[in-house]
Amino acid sequence: MFLRNYWYVAASASEVGRKPLARIILGEPVVFFRTEDGAPVAFEDRCVHRHLPLSMGKLVGDRLQCHYHGLQYDRSGQCVRIPGQDRIPPNAKVKAYPVVERYGWLWIWMGDPALADPAKITDFHWLDDANWGAKSSYLYVNANWQLIVDNLLDLTHLAFVHETTIGNSALAEHATVKVTRAPNNVVVTRWIIDQPAPPTFVKVGGFTSNVDRWQIIDFAPPAFLRLDVGATPTGTGAPQGRRVGGITMRNLNAITPETEKTSHYFWGQAHDFDVKNAVLTEKIFEQIQTAFYEDVAVFTAQQRSLDLIPDPPQLDINADTGVIQARRILARLHEEEQAALHATAAE
Amino acid sequence: MADTEEWRRVAALSDIPADAGFPVTLGGTPIALYRVEDAVHAIDDVCPHAFALLSQGFVEGGTVECPLHQACFEIATGRCLSGPATVDLRSYAVKVDGGDVYVRAP
Repeated sequence: MFLRNYWYVAASASEVGRKPLARIILGEPVVFFRTEDGAPVAFEDRCVHRHLPLSMGKLVGDRLQCHYHGLQYDRSGQCVRIPGQDRIPPNAKVKAYPVVERYGWLWIWMGDPALADPAKITDFHWLDDANWGAKSSYLYVNANWQLIVDNLLDLTHLAFVHETTIGNSALAEHATVKVTRAPNNVVVTRWIIDQPAPPTFVKVGGFTSNVDRWQIIDFAPPAFLRLDVGATPTGTGAPQGRRVGGITMRNLNAITPETEKTSHYFWGQAHDFDVKNAVLTEKIFEQIQTAFYEDVAVFTAQQRSLDLIPDPPQLDINADTGVIQARRILARLHEEEQAALHATAAE
Repeated sequence: MADTEEWRRVAALSDIPADAGFPVTLGGTPIALYRVEDAVHAIDDVCPHAFALLSQGFVEGGTVECPLHQACFEIATGRCLSGPATVDLRSYAVKVDGGDVYVRAP
């Protein structure tokens, strides 16, 4: 199940250049490149002639030339040259996708181009805001995108999957959790009061006594999870909104389905303390990356289970409230998108 | 008189949020307190369907919706309004005295 009328992160801005980049997004082959003036371009990665991926070709000025018989396409996806043939049929055109560069990422619109308003791009400003230190990265995941969404909405798994980095047992057993929901949004707020800080927090925050720790997970469809996490020494007032003497970080996640069973996982980590310290930024990033590799192993194994027995019965537990609310939103949005598509088709 | 001994103080009135349940136990039984307008109500906290805690559910217009599978219950009576749960919750008598909330064991 995919939602189409959304902006998705397709690539990091730095990996798209004058060499064509091939990437499958929502099951569709897409080729990315930049024109000579640096503008990003995305279109269908398949020659209209004999289906060779255009990403195997090369750029000739601002035109992408097919590797097979030399057909050339301009930035709109229109074929503008067919070797040995003067007249080019008007249907010699590949599908072009709207793209926007923002927050160090290249965003793509996979739905109706008429609806592609860049104002709808989900806010990830922490990744390139001077008030924050940040680093982002990419993971390829052999699992359905919703398994990753589930993972980020239930952080009790930190106590078990990530006990050497960002988790400890206090998370699962000593937390108070509140889930709030809106038509297209779920927020899971978890407070862990007067408990030991987990290993990563001790390393980067230097805590020597118990902390009040928060995790505020904001889910926006289809698969954006922005986590406000941090801790302050116990009793200094963070639960009342006064964050002093501790650390605040943003863990930022944008998941883009590649296929029903594989995902592009773009993520970043930002911190609001000592923001110019690149060594610190790297140290925090590496701690979180270690945890994320542990997650990827879980996703991959879950997908293998689901491949063997699709749609098995599953048990829901108390910690699943956020997960379930998000899945309901996604199912409803999918139904609405499909209904709108069928209505258009019937016209 | 025996009747007075059955009332147990379970919470301060100020503990109970306006928009959510507040979990307490009464003789080992998990129950949840809710405010509906000016009244305080106490009903079982465990959903009879799959044992979710209803105090973590969603309170809307005098009802609480199970956080997991959307069964709905009337807060004032414990009555099951919609499935997948099929039985009502037990409802407990409540009295508020001087900022303290008391519940009577059935």
